[in-house]
Amino acid sequence: MRSEPPSHVELLRGTLDLLILRTLLAGPSHGHAIAKHIQRTSEDLLQVETGSLYPALHRLEARGWIAASWELSVKGKRAKFYRLTRQGRKQLVAEQSKWETFSRAMRLIVNPAGQEGQ
Amino acid sequence: MSPYLQKLRSLLHRRRKEEDLRDELQFHLEEEAEERQAEGLPSEEARRAARRDIGNIALVQEETRAAWTWNYLEQLAQDCRYGFRTIAANKTFSMLAILSLALGIGANTAIYSFMDSLLLLSLPVSNPESLVVLNWGANPTGRDFVMRAMSGSTWSDDRFKEIAGIFPFPAFELIRTNSRGVFSSVFAYYPTRKVNVMVKAQAEQTSGEFVSGDYFRGLEVSPAAGRLIIPDDDRVGAPPIAVLSFAFSQRRFGHAASTPGQSILINNVSFTVAGVAPPGFFGVDPAAAPDFYIPLHTNLVLNVRRGATDPKVYLEQNYYWLEMMARLRPGVSLKQAQAALGPLFHQWVASTANDRERATLPELLIRDGATGLNTLRRQYSKPLYVLLSMVGLILAIACANIANLLLARAAARRREMAVRLSMGAGRFRVIRQLLTESVLLASIGGALGVAFAIWGIRFLTFLMANGREDFTLHPNLNWHVLGAAVALSLLTGLLFGLAPSLQSTRVDVIPALKEARAGQLGLRHSFWRTSLSQLLVVTQIGISLLMLVAAGLFVRTLSNLQSIQLGFNRENVLLFRMNARQAGHRDPEIITFYSDLQKRFSAIPGVRGASASHSPLLGEGTWSGYVVPVGQQRKLPTHILMTTLDFFKTMQIPVVLGRAFDDRDQPGSQAVAVVSEAYVKRNFPDRNPLGQHIVISRRPPMENRDVAIVGVAKDARYGALKGEFRDVAYLPFNQGSYSPVEEMTFALRTSGDPLRYVNTVRAIVSQSDARVPVTDVKTQAAQIDQMMNQEIILARLCTAFAILALLITCVGLYGTMSYTVARRTGEIGIRMALGAPRGAVVWMVLRQVFILAALGLAIGVPTALGISRFVESFIFGVKPNSPAALILAVAILLGAVLLAGYVPARKASRIDPMTAVRHE
Repeated sequence: MRSEPPSHVELLRGTLDLLILRTLLAGPSHGHAIAKHIQRTSEDLLQVETGSLYPALHRLEARGWIAASWELSVKGKRAKFYRLTRQGRKQLVAEQSKWETFSRAMRLIVNPAGQEGQ
Repeated sequence: MSPYLQKLRSLLHRRRKEEDLRDELQFHLEEEAEERQAEGLPSEEARRAARRDIGNIALVQEETRAAWTWNYLEQLAQDCRYGFRTIAANKTFSMLAILSLALGIGANTAIYSFMDSLLLLSLPVSNPESLVVLNWGANPTGRDFVMRAMSGSTWSDDRFKEIAGIFPFPAFELIRTNSRGVFSSVFAYYPTRKVNVMVKAQAEQTSGEFVSGDYFRGLEVSPAAGRLIIPDDDRVGAPPIAVLSFAFSQRRFGHAASTPGQSILINNVSFTVAGVAPPGFFGVDPAAAPDFYIPLHTNLVLNVRRGATDPKVYLEQNYYWLEMMARLRPGVSLKQAQAALGPLFHQWVASTANDRERATLPELLIRDGATGLNTLRRQYSKPLYVLLSMVGLILAIACANIANLLLARAAARRREMAVRLSMGAGRFRVIRQLLTESVLLASIGGALGVAFAIWGIRFLTFLMANGREDFTLHPNLNWHVLGAAVALSLLTGLLFGLAPSLQSTRVDVIPALKEARAGQLGLRHSFWRTSLSQLLVVTQIGISLLMLVAAGLFVRTLSNLQSIQLGFNRENVLLFRMNARQAGHRDPEIITFYSDLQKRFSAIPGVRGASASHSPLLGEGTWSGYVVPVGQQRKLPTHILMTTLDFFKTMQIPVVLGRAFDDRDQPGSQAVAVVSEAYVKRNFPDRNPLGQHIVISRRPPMENRDVAIVGVAKDARYGALKGEFRDVAYLPFNQGSYSPVEEMTFALRTSGDPLRYVNTVRAIVSQSDARVPVTDVKTQAAQIDQMMNQEIILARLCTAFAILALLITCVGLYGTMSYTVARRTGEIGIRMALGAPRGAVVWMVLRQVFILAALGLAIGVPTALGISRFVESFIFGVKPNSPAALILAVAILLGAVLLAGYVPARKASRIDPMTAVRHE
């Protein structure tokens, strides 16, 4: 049996939206920074593909959960910054509780002993 | 910002968004490269690593764009573009489908618009729903009937042999004074028929309406200028006033407002114009639009009805002439009014009848009057129902064609669908694309249909009026029907476009992709499609047969009518009418006036003969009375015509026995008559009629007249075209044997086109007396055509519709067979490679056509036999189940179907076996 944890995990479908919204809760940020933040915070376990990041950002923008504007980055370059809208905040709460329910359910099934150990 | 607005904005700023996206990704790249550089990579390598990391930039762009092109408007535009391209790719078939749909929608809308204006439109007055019309119905047997004399018309329905809306004046008084409980108003009216109206010294023959004092108050109409007629105007001795129709006052006085106070002459009696009726008001009968309204009692000074100048007409209890309407009090129903007045009328009418008449008394019928009188409705509603069912069938087969087209297309595009699905297109998106195409097709058909409807309404108005200037029906485009027709075609489009596409998008992608050629289907699927499309074609063939049979019956009817024995020569006769009495001529001078005119007409170069009669032979009713051989009992009335002396020669009615009228027959000489063969057959079956005396009964105060028969004329049509020849007594108009001479209809036998002589005729008349207008100028042939108007309309329209139906069916059949041949190209190729001759291939395809046609006929023939009796009342001289009409229809249908099937069959026989087999 392998005891070593994997270096990367695949993102579950639908979770990217939650990750982006959660990241933006800290304040406005551009695409690259969002990707890096997710990667860093997950201790490099989650890698966000550029090919899914931007479609996701634009989809969230189209739904009105995040809003975008061109601003200057820390290094003084023009960058597109995304920020959470009020609707996005609500969505984040909803997605978060959904995710927590889901992961609790997963834990109960996959690792029933874990409960005893607590 | 709402997501929808954002989408809209993104559509408008698409280019800017593209640039934004490029910039955004560029920034990402630079950021990534900088980070790599910070980790210690050389700048060149860092940039390359960043690029590698981001992957295929074009793909990222594409997928990001997909996030914002998720946009209804844009996709709709895309779908429409694609739909147009598909329609354009199948030019012929699409065009035919759209055209047949447009014709179907257009014809339905046009016909229904007519029905609507005819059957459903209310009178343009306030609260038309509370108006009622008073009629009576009776089943008289023999000739003992309480209505001893009448002026007006009667008709019949399932319950009563005779129904009419005419009453004696005392009945009007009875109901007016005894209906306070149920009616808020009762009013009566009577048409003036054509009278001479002189405005500013210009004479004109026109018609108006005598109305009782409560007419305008009862209808709740308010004047456009001046005032309307009130009860005080309608009494003996009141100063004569008139109310003009809005159109007439504009035509003759230029402006409605300046009309009140002016004076006009009606039959030489001066009337003061009191006011003008509102625009759009046409009285109570949509079929007649009176030019003026005058009080009922002016009847007495106008001398409109023959021999009715004395006030006794108001007291006569057995003379029926006055029509009545009433307005129900609020809350009173038709039934309650009927219950209140039925017994009252019964009691009164019983008191006016003698013992024998009392057996079959008329019964009062109170009917809904919101749509006014129904003369037009009675005349046109049945043919319109026939036409409506025909256009309905046309729409049905047009829809079947659309269905067929879409079925064929859906099958042919199964592979395309599979490709699109496998490339990742959403099923919903694909279905929506197909839906858009169907809607597009139906919309184009619908838009064209509007154009056809407008054109169709004009054409129908033209057909129905058939040259009559006073045709009053001017229907508007009915948007409800148009909407319904378009909705129906959309539904067809959706049903037949979507059902197969739902199926094709559900299919397993892989086998569909593996299919060798587009349109080659799995067996089960192909069977489903083929049988459905063949079912549609079979139905189309069946319906076409129905329409062909109907067209055949109507065309035969028309040709039977046209070849009917008239008994006189209709060619090259000019007819026109004048009324010298209304212009002021009196006895005995009026006789000289007409005789002089007749002589001057005969002298016109090119005129071979001129004569006149007090009524035209055809186109109007007949005059009749008892004409009984001396010493015999009265039987049935005889038809009477007063003529000038040259009448038989001019109309070319042969006199078979004795002589025609000649110069011997003058006022004061022996009163004579020429009778028809039918009269002789009935009254002198075994005697020589020449020299016999007959008695003409006349209404008091005139005395009965004894005349001698001097000749027998061959039977000629008088009054009606159809039926047995009537017995007619011709009397010289100058001997005054029947009634005083008033109006005369002249007939000129001309060489060449009769209408060439109209100006000369008018010049002669205005030279004799400019006050006498010449009216109803037409040729005898045109007059007969007008009598057959309904038959002509039915024959022409049905033929047009049948051809249309046949055409649409042929298109459908052609499409189906072409598709079948295309599908079987491989099989046919193999057959031919194995030695099948071309003829066998043609036969193989044609056999299928025959099977379809046979199935269609198997449905159509019994149906045609079953329902043709519904048109029995419109046909003449041909049986509804006439085998000749049926055989002809079947022959035409088979010929057309064979032609439509032969083209694809021939194409099949031209298949090159090598190409076809290799194609697999």
